Amino acid sequence: MPNEPQNELGEAWRNQPGENITMPLEEIRRRAGKFQRRIRWRNAREYAAVAIVVIIFGFYLKWFPNPVARAGSVMIIAGALYVAYQLHRRGSSEAMPAGGAFEPCLGFHRRALERQRDALASVWSWYLGPMIPGLAVFLVGSAVATPIPLPYLVLVTVMRAAVVGTVFWLVAKLNHGAARKLQAQIDELKALEQ
Amino acid sequence: MGEPSQDERYHQAAAEYGAALERLARAYEFDPDRRRDLLQEIHLALWRSFALFDGRCSARTWVYRVAHNTAVSYGIGRRRSGDRNLVSLEEVELTLGDRDGDEAAGRRHVLARLTELIQSLKPLDRQVILSYLEGMDASAIGEITGLAAGNVATKIHRIKTVLAKRFSQGADYAE
Repeated sequence: MPNEPQNELGEAWRNQPGENITMPLEEIRRRAGKFQRRIRWRNAREYAAVAIVVIIFGFYLKWFPNPVARAGSVMIIAGALYVAYQLHRRGSSEAMPAGGAFEPCLGFHRRALERQRDALASVWSWYLGPMIPGLAVFLVGSAVATPIPLPYLVLVTVMRAAVVGTVFWLVAKLNHGAARKLQAQIDELKALEQ
Repeated sequence: MGEPSQDERYHQAAAEYGAALERLARAYEFDPDRRRDLLQEIHLALWRSFALFDGRCSARTWVYRVAHNTAVSYGIGRRRSGDRNLVSLEEVELTLGDRDGDEAAGRRHVLARLTELIQSLKPLDRQVILSYLEGMDASAIGEITGLAAGNVATKIHRIKTVLAKRFSQGADYAE
C-alpha cells in the first residue's frame, strides 16, 4: 500500500539530503593507527598507576624496619600487579571494535552488556579482593611498629581498617547495583532471542 | 578473477551504502560533530571487518550489522559518562494520543521529529525501525538484528501504529 503514511515516511527518510561524507583509505589507515595509539596510551596510564603503588610500597619495603609491614608492602605490590593484569586483560577484549561486530546486533549487544556485568559483579575477586590481604598485613605491621599504648594502638588500627573497609564496601555496592541494572537489560534481550 | 580484497570490498560497500550509513549515524547521534565522529568510526570498523568477511551472510546484512554494532558500542561508551534514558517501542505506543499527528506536525518538521523519535528508542528498537524505514522486509530485519521472526513481526506492527498515529496528518516532508 504505497499511500500508507509510514511508506511515505520511509521514502522521506531515504531521500533526505546527506553530507556525502567519505573516508579515503589513507584516512582510515591513519585512524586505525590512532586507535592503536589510544589503546597503548590507556595501557601506559594503567602501568603508571601500578608503578606509583610499586614505588610507594617499595619505599616502605626498604625503609620500614618492621618485618610484618614489609611483608604487607610486598603483598600490596603483588595485589596491584594482579589488578593491573586483570585491567589489561579485560581492556584488551574491548580493544577491537571490529572483532565480532559482524554478529547479529542482538547477540553482540547482549554479550557486550554481559562482559560489563561480569566485570562489575566480580569486582571483589579481581579488583578489591587482591588488595585486602596486603592492606590488612600492612595495617597490622605499621601498628605494631608504632610506639603507643596497646588500647590506643588497637583503636587506631580498627579505625583505619574501618575506613578502608567502608570505602571498599561502597565501591562494591555501587558496582553490584550497576551490574543488577545491566542484568535487567540482558534479560530483556534474551527474551527477544527466543 | 579472484576474491575482492579488503579495500575493494570496503570501497564497494561505501559506494553502495554510504548514504544509508549517514542516515544511520544521524539516528544514533544528534550532535553534528559526534555524528561525524561516529560515522568515521563506522567506516573504520567496516574496513577492518572486511578482513574477516567470509560470505556467511550478504554484504548488506554484514554492513548493517557492523554499523549498528559500532554505533551501539559508541553509545555504550558515551552513556558511561551520563546520558538520557531510552524508551522501548511499547512505551512510545502506550504514551501515544490520537491527536499527536496533526497537533505536532505543524510545529516541527516531520523528518526532525522522526529522527528525534528514533534517537529516543532503545538500541534494538532503533535498529528495527531504521531497517524498516530503509525499506527492508521482516526476514532481512531478523537477519541483521538476530530477532526471532515473531518478535520482528510484533515490532513492525508497533512501528506502523506509532508512525501512523504520530505522523498521520498534515505531514510536510519537504526539506
